Amino acid sequence: MPVEIVKITDEVDTHDIKSFRFKFLNAEDESRFQYLPGQFAELSIYGKGESPIGIASSPTEPGYVEFTVQRAGAIVPGLVTAALHDMEEGGKIGLRGPLGHPWPIEFLEKKNIVVVGGGFAFTTLRSLVTYMLHGDNRPRFGDITVIYGARTPGLLCYKDELAAWEKRSDIKTIITVDKGNETWKGREGFVPAVCKDVAPSPENAVAVICGPPVMIKFTLPVFFDLGFSKENILTSLEMRMKCGIGKCGRCNVGYKYVCSDGPVFSLAELEELPRDF
Amino acid sequence: MLKKTTVNQLSDLASALMEKGTLVAPVREDAGFQFREITDAKRVDLNFHNTVISPKSVFFPQTEDFVRYRTGRPMQEAEPVEPQGKPLILFGVRPCDVKSFEIMDIHFSGTGDVDPYWQARREAAAIIGYAFDLGAPAEPEEFYQTLGIGAADPEGSDIFMVRRGDDLLLKSITGKGEALLTGMGGLAGASADDEKFFDDTVAAGRDFKTRFTCVDAEVITKKLEDLFHNTDFWEKASNACLSCGVCTFACPTCYCFDICDETLFQQGTRRRVWDACMFTDFTLEASGHNPRTKVYQRLRQKINHKYSYHVRKYGVISCVGCGRCTRYCPVNIDIFSIVEEAMKA
Repeated sequence: MPVEIVKITDEVDTHDIKSFRFKFLNAEDESRFQYLPGQFAELSIYGKGESPIGIASSPTEPGYVEFTVQRAGAIVPGLVTAALHDMEEGGKIGLRGPLGHPWPIEFLEKKNIVVVGGGFAFTTLRSLVTYMLHGDNRPRFGDITVIYGARTPGLLCYKDELAAWEKRSDIKTIITVDKGNETWKGREGFVPAVCKDVAPSPENAVAVICGPPVMIKFTLPVFFDLGFSKENILTSLEMRMKCGIGKCGRCNVGYKYVCSDGPVFSLAELEELPRDF
Repeated sequence: MLKKTTVNQLSDLASALMEKGTLVAPVREDAGFQFREITDAKRVDLNFHNTVISPKSVFFPQTEDFVRYRTGRPMQEAEPVEPQGKPLILFGVRPCDVKSFEIMDIHFSGTGDVDPYWQARREAAAIIGYAFDLGAPAEPEEFYQTLGIGAADPEGSDIFMVRRGDDLLLKSITGKGEALLTGMGGLAGASADDEKFFDDTVAAGRDFKTRFTCVDAEVITKKLEDLFHNTDFWEKASNACLSCGVCTFACPTCYCFDICDETLFQQGTRRRVWDACMFTDFTLEASGHNPRTKVYQRLRQKINHKYSYHVRKYGVISCVGCGRCTRYCPVNIDIFSIVEEAMKA
């Protein structure tokens, strides 16, 4: 599906994470691109390749689809992400998707939702929160708590939206940074410690956690201690992908393919799989 | 329907088949026998044990173009390569390799999204299987008996061939095979004695001895799950591995592929190419994270994929015991021994 960049947002002060808002060049493609939060799509640039990226916008935001993309290249050269970062508004690329399974919306309904995110891994969580906060959807969910952290204030994504959420009464928003700066007036502290401090109740609650491996490693025990069961802790896995539809054999963890069986898994499901990710 | 011809008339048979579609058959090359598209009927050669590379490339070519484009031009001008199945006859396939197609079908067209390229080629093809020579011993690397595959199993073939002295017996197994056989000239009718020989060969093929160990799909799946964290086991198994990937390229059931763009003089192609889980960068993520940096992790992945993950996902072991991985491994890593050891664990 051909799409055109209509808006580029420079998300962080290191300028290597940008959000790209695309509009579909063929109107019928937009109605074919039916997605839910948690799914991903392949961004395609001929001559460079394809790159699987989580969808950051929510289906409650019609007219466009948005992806937050980090320019790869610090360690591995990222052809697609580099080319995309070098593009300007009006640039055209291809989109293949939506792919993978979304966050299990029906399972989340009527429950209290605790969303925990770290750094740049917040993208599909942003989609989920935006989806739940939409007027039509908000009554379908219980209390919503968002705990979001980044290393520095400048590395927080979606700053304007975070500020808007903090003003709302129907969502509890806790923003933290590992280390603040002279202008930072918010909380300081690592995500696991903040989770412990906030201590969300496990009563009828589901925790949705995405972040760097080290954050997840230390955050999970906090939620176990709080009394969350493995069925009620969800996360989204990353593996190198190519086809995105369970054929190319690349992204398996045990007998599951992250692309077509995931990327969303509960902790109970992950415990069944070998530690090969 | 059973018909026959003689091995001396093989090129006539090949010519007759070439009238029905593209013929792909074993030919002798410097490196050994390979399946090739036949343009000269005289090149078809059945004096082979098995080919170097498996016939999977007939349905799943090593490189396959998806889209062709010119760089710098609007992407709407790109031309997708539509899946095309041209009538094709794949001739002289050994029973273990025929079995591999059935295993690959489950993955490519039997579950989840259908791979239209694989499916189009498969549907347009007729397979003429060929029994191993039961009078000669199996090659030392072969272990298809372990996987319940006989040396003369006709299942999966459209027509199955058995050699009887200087005669070649051809029996139709499917309707497609019957139609093909009916429409071909130059074949003689077979006698009741030939019928009996054919049936006896199929039966004898089931008892044909290859390397054998008792492997039950569910048991090996469980054993490998338990062995997953036994690093000693996997380090020992992979000690000599060079990560060259020949085992995966020669394998009839390895299907992993890469999708990549290649551009030269403004001509661009997005294509898939065979890839191998034995390569270091197979799972290297853009962040730099790589879950399988060590050789033992990659060999463990390969064995587990075939004997555990595939069983959990699709219900069958993804190996046909053709022995190619062992035969062409430059450091003699032997998948059969690893499986045998795992069963003992």
